[in-house]
Amino acid sequence: MRRWLPAVVLLLVAAPAAATEDLVSGLSQDTVEITSNYTGTDIVVFGAIEHPEDTGINDVVVIVRGPGANMTVREKQWVAGIWINRDQAKMISMPTYYFLASTRPVDRIAPAFTLERYAIGLANVVPANIVSHHDPEPFRQALIRHRQADGLYGEEPDGVIFNSPTLFHARVPVPATVTRGLYNVEVYLFRDGTVISAQSTPLFIDQTGLERRLFNFAHDEPFYYGVATVLMASLLGWLSSVLFRRNE
Amino acid sequence: MEIYLPIAEMSVHWLIVLGMGGAIGFLSGLFGVGGGFLLTPLLIFYGVPAEVAVATTSSHITASSISGALAQWRRRAVDLKMGAVMAGGGLFGTTAGVWLFTVMRRYGQMDLLVSSSYVILLGTVGGLMLSESLAALRASRSGAPPARRAPHLWMHGLPFKMRFRESRLYISVIPPVVIGFFVGVLSAIMGVGGGFVIVPAMIYLLRMPTNVVMGTSLFQIIIVTAATTILQATTNYSVDIVLALFLILGGVIGAQLGVRAGERLRGEQLRLLLALLVLAVALRLFVGLVVKPDDPFSVTVGGP
Repeated sequence: MRRWLPAVVLLLVAAPAAATEDLVSGLSQDTVEITSNYTGTDIVVFGAIEHPEDTGINDVVVIVRGPGANMTVREKQWVAGIWINRDQAKMISMPTYYFLASTRPVDRIAPAFTLERYAIGLANVVPANIVSHHDPEPFRQALIRHRQADGLYGEEPDGVIFNSPTLFHARVPVPATVTRGLYNVEVYLFRDGTVISAQSTPLFIDQTGLERRLFNFAHDEPFYYGVATVLMASLLGWLSSVLFRRNE
Repeated sequence: MEIYLPIAEMSVHWLIVLGMGGAIGFLSGLFGVGGGFLLTPLLIFYGVPAEVAVATTSSHITASSISGALAQWRRRAVDLKMGAVMAGGGLFGTTAGVWLFTVMRRYGQMDLLVSSSYVILLGTVGGLMLSESLAALRASRSGAPPARRAPHLWMHGLPFKMRFRESRLYISVIPPVVIGFFVGVLSAIMGVGGGFVIVPAMIYLLRMPTNVVMGTSLFQIIIVTAATTILQATTNYSVDIVLALFLILGGVIGAQLGVRAGERLRGEQLRLLLALLVLAVALRLFVGLVVKPDDPFSVTVGGP
């Protein structure tokens, strides 16, 4: 907490005077680097409401969205005694990561059409397009269930914590299995069910060091990568044979 | 300490991976098999994607086979010519296998292909080994000599004959090429060396003398698994070099301990244990195919 508190103070001091209620927010870090011993971390989204008004109910919703990817959901069916993948639905450009923190359950913050419009809540996480011969909804729900189990989708209805009437923060988990790329952190300020202010901040998540180089090597020069793996295996096999003989 | 596997895209504890490699190495040293048929399912149960498990195990087998083949080479127990002929068939086989692998992956049937190949092959081989080792145990108790099988005479009539000096054979190249091809396919889709198929085939089908069988099969396994590793890396990008490193390190240590432990057990008992192990793996995968899954849905990320 100490790391980002000075930044909040700075934001408050630097904020220009304005008559209407507004929102300022920031991140504890704007890049996350996945290194060899990375096991997951938390980033903190913090912010402040400027010129708060005394009447009405304020709610804050924080959403972090990962880069989009195509995902295929398959359903196993019982065919001739065994369970095999039969039906499938392909979700075009689904966020690889989605985390929502709010002051209250989102369905109590705003009406459904507002949530749908801003894609707030797991119920409103939808792909750009779906390729399927069947009703895609069970497939979409299965995908959300799977991503939740993997810690890549999440909703925390009490995740936004107010430290004072105007200062708030939310913790966003970044597990080790996240996709690399450009993330977007969105902060919404609701007043009586209407969005009155919104901010978005980019967050960059990248592999660094040896992992990144190996991943690039495997995809850019797959032949030499394969040869390198075989050479490593051969060398270790030969070494063990030499050591083994000495032991005999 | 957790390590991040760049291709499998998951974090694992290095001791667990090293331990898995060690355990499989121990069993392979104990039984004199490559252990790919155990390592691939083990990695899949642990959560490594099936395509990464299959492809990475190939490189593990290359390492353990080189270690074994060098020991055989010092004893002059390798028929290079026979090994090269079989590996020739094997290279076509592994190319066909990797192609099949890629096609099945596109249609979402990769897990089915891997699991059902395992159930069929391990079920058959395990069953044969079990009945054979039980018969041998019974025979050794009653004192009767083990039964010998008659040679397959039809093979001797095939064309393209070649002389294999170390094996003391003058046979057609067609049977070794076909066997090599078949094992190459297995290598690509199951991540195995195929020793448990090659060795019986060499003894019973090709009638090779037993003293060169082990070295020659290891020689051909090295070539085929090395080719499989490179093909999987270039076609499916599914070889994880970090995972391979830890598995191999564990494997070479485990194998030494296994060889020593094996010297204290009798051959028939070893074969019986191995048969039970093979059948257990087949049964576990069979259950996975026939029992209703907890969640019938699965998600694959990526693809066009």
